[in-house]
This record gives sequence, C-alpha cells and structure tokens, in this order.
Amino acid sequence: MRPGTLIRLSLAGNRTDRLRAGLTAASAALAAVALLAAATVAAIHGGDFDYRPDGRRVLAPGSGQYASALLVESGLRPGVIFALVMLALPVLALAGQCIRLGAPARDRRLAALRLGGATPGQTVVIAGAETAAASLLGSLAGFGVYLVLRVVLDRRDADGKLLLPTDVLPNPLILILALLLVPVLAGLIGLLLMRRVVITPLGVVRRLRDRGPQPWPGVLIVLGLVLFAPKTLQNLLHLTPRHWRLPEWLPLALMGAGVLCVMVGVVVGTGWISYTAGRLLRRYGRGPVSLLSGARLMADPWNGSRTIGALLAAVVFGAGTLGFRADLATDFAAQNRLGELTDPALGSAYDTGFYFGAIRLVLVAVTIALVVAAGGVLVALAEGIVARRRTYAAMTAGGVPRSKLGAMLLVVTLVPLLPALLLAR
Amino acid sequence: MTGALLSGTGITKSYGATPALRGIDVTVGEGEIVAITGPSGCGKSTLLHCLAGILRADEGSVVYREQDLSLWSEASRSRLRRTEFGVLFQFGQLVPELTAAENVALPLLLAGSGRRDAREAALGWLARFGVADMADKRPPAMSGGQQQRCAAARALVTGPRVIFADEPTGALDQLSGEQVMTAMVQAVREQGSAVVLVTHEAPVAAYADREIVLRDGAIDPSGIGIVG
Repeated sequence: MRPGTLIRLSLAGNRTDRLRAGLTAASAALAAVALLAAATVAAIHGGDFDYRPDGRRVLAPGSGQYASALLVESGLRPGVIFALVMLALPVLALAGQCIRLGAPARDRRLAALRLGGATPGQTVVIAGAETAAASLLGSLAGFGVYLVLRVVLDRRDADGKLLLPTDVLPNPLILILALLLVPVLAGLIGLLLMRRVVITPLGVVRRLRDRGPQPWPGVLIVLGLVLFAPKTLQNLLHLTPRHWRLPEWLPLALMGAGVLCVMVGVVVGTGWISYTAGRLLRRYGRGPVSLLSGARLMADPWNGSRTIGALLAAVVFGAGTLGFRADLATDFAAQNRLGELTDPALGSAYDTGFYFGAIRLVLVAVTIALVVAAGGVLVALAEGIVARRRTYAAMTAGGVPRSKLGAMLLVVTLVPLLPALLLAR
Repeated sequence: MTGALLSGTGITKSYGATPALRGIDVTVGEGEIVAITGPSGCGKSTLLHCLAGILRADEGSVVYREQDLSLWSEASRSRLRRTEFGVLFQFGQLVPELTAAENVALPLLLAGSGRRDAREAALGWLARFGVADMADKRPPAMSGGQQQRCAAARALVTGPRVIFADEPTGALDQLSGEQVMTAMVQAVREQGSAVVLVTHEAPVAAYADREIVLRDGAIDPSGIGIVG
C-alpha cells in the first residue's frame, strides 16, 4: 500500500469520523500544551542553594527573575513539572475516549476494506494512521497555542519579576520529543483500544472478556481508608495514645498513601464499580429505567471507564488536597497561637502565603483536570448514543418514551461516579 | 471442466454446538461456474466462506492450485483474496465513504498500484458493467443495482481466477439481478475465471454449469436442485 493510498483511506470518513478526528486533535493539542509547559519549566536554570562558610544559604543565580518560589527554587521545580505532566493524563484519557467516538461505523468501514482485500495488518495501519495524523496535527496546533501563550502571558508583577517562565524555551530536541510523544501515545492508545476488536471480511467481532470485573481494587480502596485512620483519629477524636510516640510526619504520610491507594483503587476499579452498580440496579431498582441502565452497566462496565477513571482520580486527589490544606491551616493556626502565647512580641511568625499559594496552584490543576475529564465523560455519553443509535431508534419506534431513554443514559453515566464521590466526601 | 482449480475435502464447520457443515467434498474446475443451492440455514454461505479462506474449517482441507489454504495465515489468505480471488456479497461490501471508482480500485491500491493506473482500470470495469457515469458518486447516492454492479466490478478488477458470489442478487429486483448476472457471467467467461455462486433463486442458479445442493450441512445425495 502506497503512502497516498494510506492517507486517502485513513481520511475517508463521514461526519462522525471528522468529529472524532477533530476531538482527538483538540485533546492532543491540550496534552501538547501541558507537556510543553512542563518542558519549559524544566528548561529553567539556577535556583540551587549554595551554603557559604558562614552558614548562610544563598540562591544560585539564573532563576531570580521569576516571582514565584515554585519557579525560582530548583528543588521545587520538579514538583511543578510533575503536576504539569500529570495534567496531561486526563487529557490523554480524553483522547482515548475521543478515539472511540463513532468507532462502530469506522470498524464497519474497515471490515469493508478487509472484504476488498486488505490484510488485518493493513486495517490496523489505516486505523492507526487516522489517529496518529489527527493527534500530530493537534500536537502542532498545541505548539502554536504554546507560542501564542508565551506572548500573551508574558506579564510581570510590581517588582518587575516574571509571573511565568516566558523567557526560556526548551531544548529543540526536547521540544520535538514532547510534540511527538502525544501522537505516539495516542496511536498506542488507539491500538490498545482495538486489541479486542477483530475485523473480518464478514464484519466486526468484539471479543468479550471471559470474566466480569474483579473486586480486588476494592482492597486498595479499603486499605486507603484504613491509612486515613491515624490522621483522622489524631485530628478529630484525639485518640492517639501518648505512649505510641508516632513520628510527627507519619500520620500525614499515611494520609498521602491513603489518597494514592483510594485513587488507584477507584481508577482501576471503575469497571467493577459500574458492574456492581448495574447489578444492584437490576436487583433492587424498579421500573424500566433501572432495568435498562442496570443491564447496560452490566453488559459493558468498561464503557467510558478511561474518562470516568480520570474524573474520579481528579475528584479523589482534589479531596485529598483540600484535606491537606485544612490540616496545614490547623497546624499553622496552632503554631501561631503557641507563638503568640510564648513570645507575644513575635506574634504570627509563619509565612503561610507560599504554602497556600502552592496548594492553590495544585487545586487549579485539579480543576482543569476535572473539566477535561468531565468533557471526556460527555464524549463517552455521546459515543454511547452514536454507537447504539439504531437500537435506541428501534426502542423509540417500539414505544419506549424518549424521556425514559434519556433517564437511562443519565443513570448509566452518573451511577458509576457516585461511589467515588462518596469516598471523596 | 479441465481439472480441479479449487477443492474442498471433508470440510466440517460448527458454530459453538451447532454444526453448519458436515464433511463436505467439493471441486471447482478452471472457468467453471458452480452454484451452491439449498434451503436457508443449510450451510451454503459457510461453505463459500470456507472455500474463499474467509473462515477456517474445523476439519478438512481447502486446496487451491495444490496449496492447502488451511495452513496459510490470515494475512496470506487476505492477500490471496486480493489477487487471485474476487468476493461479491449481498450487502455491505462497498466502503460508503469512497467513490465508486475508488471502491473498484481498492484491491489494486491495497496491492500497491499507483492511483492513476488503478483508477483507469476501475473506470474500464465500471464501463463494462454499465455504471461508468457513477464513477465519482458515493454508494449512498447509487441504487442497489448500481452498487451491486460496482461490487461485481471490484470483484473482477484484479483479474481473479475464482469469483465467490454469495447471493449477489438477493437484494435486487428481478431486472437488476439479471443485469448484474449477465454482465458478470459475460466478464468471467471472457476472463476464464471460475465462479462459486451461492443462491436460492432458480434464475440465478441457471447461469451455472453445475449445481451442488446442500441440506443440513451436507450435500444432498438426490442432487435435486432448484434448477429443473
């Protein structure tokens, strides 16, 4: 197959295919912006602490032009880079959901190509080329957005210091790698999504999993909740016995590990949560809506699990961050009070601005992740409707009211989210 | 008949616990048109799919030009279908997003031909089937008969040695069905291709040189088919 044929066949599509390509490109652009921002922060030099013979601590030059300590201090920058890379994850989850949009029609087209003589490998290449081309275009568009943002956000504070690192550019090699990473990852996600799809000349076969989702992620969630216990007991009930002599950092570290465990458990257990919710709906629900939505959740518990997982992760992580902020605020208040009592002349000696500023930045990132993941859930909902439009049309023709179908779609979308929201609460 | 071009021996195929074919022996000679007939659910389409290498038989072998296809990989069988076989089904065979000319040129393009050469060949075949004026139309803008003639042109564009046609006129009215069959039979006679034709319509089966009648997944020993 010549490259021209590959391009023609991968670009042949209907309106839904163009929408899928557009959404894939848009999410690739967002991911590229996040990765380029991370690469830009990584390009900042200086900001290491030098210890002088007299014991003074002096910052090495190179990053003094920035207003935020998160950019100035080299020890804090890896955290910012990590947060920006993490921000790309829900965006990639969104891309993964977009790739599924209208997939049944695309799979039928690929089956027709197989009937026309395409080998299984050629159909995979054609499907992958569509995703890779869309995400490469998106990645390049993201680079354009990044360049525009560098100009638009080139602002300084009252002291003349830069609010964002608009004065540095990543190494060209890193820049190219960041731009290529998104299409490569999107292509891999596309291939991963097609691993259970067998395209034959006679049509498309979707291999079902032999077993339903397993409940083992629940162990992680329970473990996470148990890890919360020391901090909760200490804060709320003052039950930590004095003779335990726990290190001060331990409850907080356990709480962090608890958030991580709950987050991983919720993300990995999305399928199990959906399946169990469906089973409960079928068993205890009344009326056609609960019957239909329960059956749908049980039949395909993994539908939308990528974006629901990202949304749940953002919710749990956001809740954990809020918990940490509340804990920090309590600590600062207690220490300030102690300071006021022991040395009234000194008063409140703690500068809380930096810490709360950093947490605010994390919460902004979590909010962006929430919005992106919620967009992904909407795409999953649209994908579900597009994929089953004939079934829904037949049900409507058979007398099922549209309101019932709408309610069923709402229940199928929202019910898997409820357990995680309760956990986050 | 001048020797077996394609032969199946002891072909057995089941879908789960339901047997579809029970040890069928069949041969197709060079340039021969063989009709497979029988009631619905007797295994006609399954037999055609096994002979074309689309399905792999559970037991038995399919030999094409002294090569056992059951030993070939899926990709090799796909390449064989693209170069030596032509496939014509009742529904869903044209890519709706490609024009008629692109659909007909598809096997050539997938095999690595240039776009211009492939399009010229496709236009020639569309003209032979009387649908040259549809070359730049997409399938949804064409009638069922026109789509089926495009599909027949696509099945023949690579000059295949065997055409597999599964109910090629099943979705067409009688006149369109006759037009498709007449054009196809004329083309395969000129080209010297063999045809394996699955049908339950007597007028279509009448185009064949020989009729094989299936009942309950086996060849009906009485041989009494739908063609008188």
